[in-house]
Amino acid sequence: MNSRTIRKFLVGETNQPNPARRAVLLYGVAAFVSLIGLADAIYLTVEHLSGRSVRCTLVSGCSEVLSSPYATVRGFPLAGIGACAYFVVFSLATLTAFGYKGMGMLLALIVGAMFLTTLWLLYLQAFVIGHFCQFCLLSALVTTTLTVLVIIARRQKRN
Amino acid sequence: MKRILPFIIIAVVLGAGLLTARYLQRSASQTPEAAPAAGSSPAASPANSGEPGAEPPHALGNANAPVTLEEFGDFECPPCGMLHPILKSLATEYGPTKLRLIFREYPLVPNHAHALTAARAAEAAALQGKFWEMHDMIYEHQKDWHETFDVRPIFEDYATKIGINLEQFRRDNGNEVVERRIFLDGKRAHSLGVQGTPTVYLNGREVPFESLAPEKLKPLIDSELANHP
Repeated sequence: MNSRTIRKFLVGETNQPNPARRAVLLYGVAAFVSLIGLADAIYLTVEHLSGRSVRCTLVSGCSEVLSSPYATVRGFPLAGIGACAYFVVFSLATLTAFGYKGMGMLLALIVGAMFLTTLWLLYLQAFVIGHFCQFCLLSALVTTTLTVLVIIARRQKRN
Repeated sequence: MKRILPFIIIAVVLGAGLLTARYLQRSASQTPEAAPAAGSSPAASPANSGEPGAEPPHALGNANAPVTLEEFGDFECPPCGMLHPILKSLATEYGPTKLRLIFREYPLVPNHAHALTAARAAEAAALQGKFWEMHDMIYEHQKDWHETFDVRPIFEDYATKIGINLEQFRRDNGNEVVERRIFLDGKRAHSLGVQGTPTVYLNGREVPFESLAPEKLKPLIDSELANHP
């Protein structure tokens, strides 16, 4: 048994990364997850601008949701705003992972706002429009995952 | 280097995102110029490749008309409903010797709950020689039946109004010929890579969605007519 193994045994040192390192890893994962949201939002924006009925393969209701008045904000496609938001999240998560100070707080605020918007959009799909769109559900899943990742990462950093 | 690296990554993602958007936009609205050229006999071969679709197709206009517009439509899709009067007025304006319209069934199931029922109704009417009458009825009253739970009585009412045998219409609705025609049109749509509705081919070349407005569609037809004097 070498001295390092004995030290690990006596002081309880493990191979687990420390909280700060874990936070960096979580921000890296958040950056990757935001890319999925970005791809989804870009696809929806292009389909919206081309004006066609999007074909849902898993659930019904893509065209109902995407042609509803809630799909645009003052004439601008909501998916386009989503694409911008995901790009900002990707940028902030990357900068935070590389140790840029102050970006983590900004990221948490933006992801929090996106999560609240997601809840509102889910409510609209379920109770107002009465249809679900699979691409919007994917975006909701991505935003929820980002929220969880950012919360855990901030807790790790505090430790 | 470590300080610059995140900015390089962000710039790369931004560039990749913009390129992806551009690629998707181009594939969504392939321009007639970019598409492969039509054959020398457009009326005989409405689109260049792909499966033949239901034969004979539902067509308005002469088979040897120099311009053929082939629409893949869904009776429940609102943009298709908006396109209907545009195509109808173009058919009237150019006449059967110059312009031929072909309608292909492409019900977006399950997005549109009644799209398949509407397609069946139109095909059943076609078996009594009244496809276009039913086609027009369904499109022109799209808003009346779109939100209805059971659309069959409404389509039966249309059948009565266009003067077809109701009993025969009920029997034909969903029979093998009707189902086969819808299936064959769908097969053709898939083979051509139709992504949504309405998708229109002008002498075998896909017309971008944004060019389906009459003021943009007419110059395209005129230019085809000029090529086929």
